[in-house]
Amino acid sequence: MPNHAILNNVDHKHLRVITARGAAYGDAVMSALTFPAEFRELQAHYPIVFAKNADGTAFDALALFGFQSGENLFLEERDGAVRWDAPAIPLSVERQPFLIGRGGEELSIHVDLDHPRVSPSESADAGESLFLTYGGTTEYLERIASVLRTLHDGLDDARNFSAALIELELLESFVVDIELDDGSQNRLGGFYTINEERLRALSGERLERLSRTGYLQAIWMAVASLSQFRALIDRKNRSLTRSMAGTHAFNR
Amino acid sequence: MSNTIEHIVVVGGGSAGWLAAAVIAAEHRHLRVTLVESPGVPPIGVGEGTWPSMRDTLHRIGVSESDFFRECDAAFKQGSRFDRWVDGSDGDYYFHPFVLPQGYGDANLAAAWQARHREVPFADLASFQPHLCVQGRAPKQARTPEFAAVANYGYHLDAGKFGVFLRTHCVDKLGVRHVLDHVDAVVPHEDGERRGDIAGLRLRESGTLTGDLFIDCTGMQSLLLGGHYGVPLLHQKHVLFNDRALAVQVPYATPDAPIASQTTSTAQSAGWIWDIGLPTRRGIGYVYSSAHVGDEEAARQLGDYVVAGGGPASISPRRIAFEPGYRERFWQRNCVAIGLSAGFIEPLEASALALVEMSAAWLADDMPATRAQMDVVAARFNEAFTYRWERVIEFLKLHYVLSTRSDSSYWIEHRQAGSIPARLQELLELWRTRPPSRRDFPRIEEVFPSASYQYILYGMQFAFDGAPRASDLPQEADRHFREAARLTAQMLPALPSNRALLEHIRMHGLPRI
Repeated sequence: MPNHAILNNVDHKHLRVITARGAAYGDAVMSALTFPAEFRELQAHYPIVFAKNADGTAFDALALFGFQSGENLFLEERDGAVRWDAPAIPLSVERQPFLIGRGGEELSIHVDLDHPRVSPSESADAGESLFLTYGGTTEYLERIASVLRTLHDGLDDARNFSAALIELELLESFVVDIELDDGSQNRLGGFYTINEERLRALSGERLERLSRTGYLQAIWMAVASLSQFRALIDRKNRSLTRSMAGTHAFNR
Repeated sequence: MSNTIEHIVVVGGGSAGWLAAAVIAAEHRHLRVTLVESPGVPPIGVGEGTWPSMRDTLHRIGVSESDFFRECDAAFKQGSRFDRWVDGSDGDYYFHPFVLPQGYGDANLAAAWQARHREVPFADLASFQPHLCVQGRAPKQARTPEFAAVANYGYHLDAGKFGVFLRTHCVDKLGVRHVLDHVDAVVPHEDGERRGDIAGLRLRESGTLTGDLFIDCTGMQSLLLGGHYGVPLLHQKHVLFNDRALAVQVPYATPDAPIASQTTSTAQSAGWIWDIGLPTRRGIGYVYSSAHVGDEEAARQLGDYVVAGGGPASISPRRIAFEPGYRERFWQRNCVAIGLSAGFIEPLEASALALVEMSAAWLADDMPATRAQMDVVAARFNEAFTYRWERVIEFLKLHYVLSTRSDSSYWIEHRQAGSIPARLQELLELWRTRPPSRRDFPRIEEVFPSASYQYILYGMQFAFDGAPRASDLPQEADRHFREAARLTAQMLPALPSNRALLEHIRMHGLPRI
């Protein structure tokens, strides 16, 4: 259960946040929310797909890290250390364990005190500190504040983006059939992507409107991102090879 | 080429006329479609239940399901519940859901039910859907796309609003021409190859409207097929006695009262009462045999039902008289009848709109391109729809034949051999030792599948006694029953209430994809 508190320099003076990557810190997720302004950077590393929200009224943009729940193929363990094998990480991952909250008109930073990134220890090597000795904010917290602001505005914009995609009927459901090196047949379903045929058929006036809002670029970035499926499947095959090698070693 | 079919004229603006016009216009964009209706003729407004086939029909004509729900005051229908049909006692009920029994065709479910599970109603054991109905669940989620289903469903709708909704779509989107005028006379071709065909209709205000194919959707008066061509009605009152209906609209007791997810049919002394839940009101009516109960007594029984269900003490129902039967032919020369003009039996199992959809789809699929093709298509249409009307009558009759009620002559006479069609008697003979199978209903497009017969037979406790067969697979049947129970447990918490989803649709619509 999350345990949210408004961040302040009294109660959280000594709090430290772990910034290392790893499943132990909540990184073992199949996907993360993203938003149009982030597409350009993410499309070079992750497939960007769309998923219907709970009540069916909007579509969320997601960067995909794996093919099943809890699978993040970008987490690589080497010599006991875990790294996230991509130069760009979605802001919705980077923000953890912080959230943006609204108290009246003001936006404020909240922290989930039960998140595994909140260090149980207050020693200097336990993670990043948030506040300076006399109550000022650290560079790390400044960056988090900026991440949260960008994310907040980005997700606002993502709602408008989703409404535009629905109105222009640019989304279609798709499935990816994947044959892995071990011969298994797998299917990824339940996601949506851009229907390029309908995109090409849009009138000049509509294209202009999309272009002015920046959505046309975001749409093409999402289309381009689908070529990352190949790389993601390669990652999956590599992870299978590793676990098979492990099995053989064990058998011997 | 002079004998090319170019202009379709639909006569009559009820839901049959507009549905036929929409299905044809949506499929054949090169054809001209004109619909003429008399100003001020009120549509009959019975038949507020549809089959799941209506989802395909609406999708086919290109309307949005969200718009349909909002503008037709529509709700979900997941099947029928029959109260007091079996023996008339309290707690006598069974379901005919739209979903097939789980694993239907893979094992002899009926035999397994009869041998080991008779304490549970057949449909409740073999399908998750009765449980969804009892709990007032919707058949889908807010995120399920338009026309897609978690559990198979049709609709309850306001027939008057449905006609207006279809008309708007036909005129605005499908290019159907709408003419408001009285048809004063039919103008036949006087000579030549087309002698005997309808050349046109003389309209009171706007002169003669000519056409190549005329679709008679004029309701029970059957202006063209019955009136002009004199094609006789094959009366069916000796099989299905009902010939009157009293219909009333009843408000919900509270604005948040649950909306029933099924049509409830409650047997009475001389007929049965339908109860259909729309978002804003219930439609309730008593369909009965005038030979067995007087109008006043029928009105009293209807009033009792309404009051027992929390409705108002004083009602003023609309009375409808009908002659149960269907035409000897539906298509003659260049005239085809669709809707009540082709026939009407009684609203049990809501086959009226379904037959309209089937007729319109047949016409759209097999639309003759030339006058020369028309007689070929007409002969096939007549054969197919005679078959369908016969099957509808037998299936409806089955509901009465299996009842053990003996509280009135109505129910007793329904079981007399002389009132039971020969083919139904033959099937009942076969079903004494085995369940209905696909072989009993061999056509590609049967009106009712064999599963529907099973739901009625075993819902009404029809017993059969046959030697076991290798294909019975009793363990396989039990596995399917467990699967139905598992699906029930999975769906109940995941599906919103009927009213909650309908409210969501009113506010937000359903996703298109």
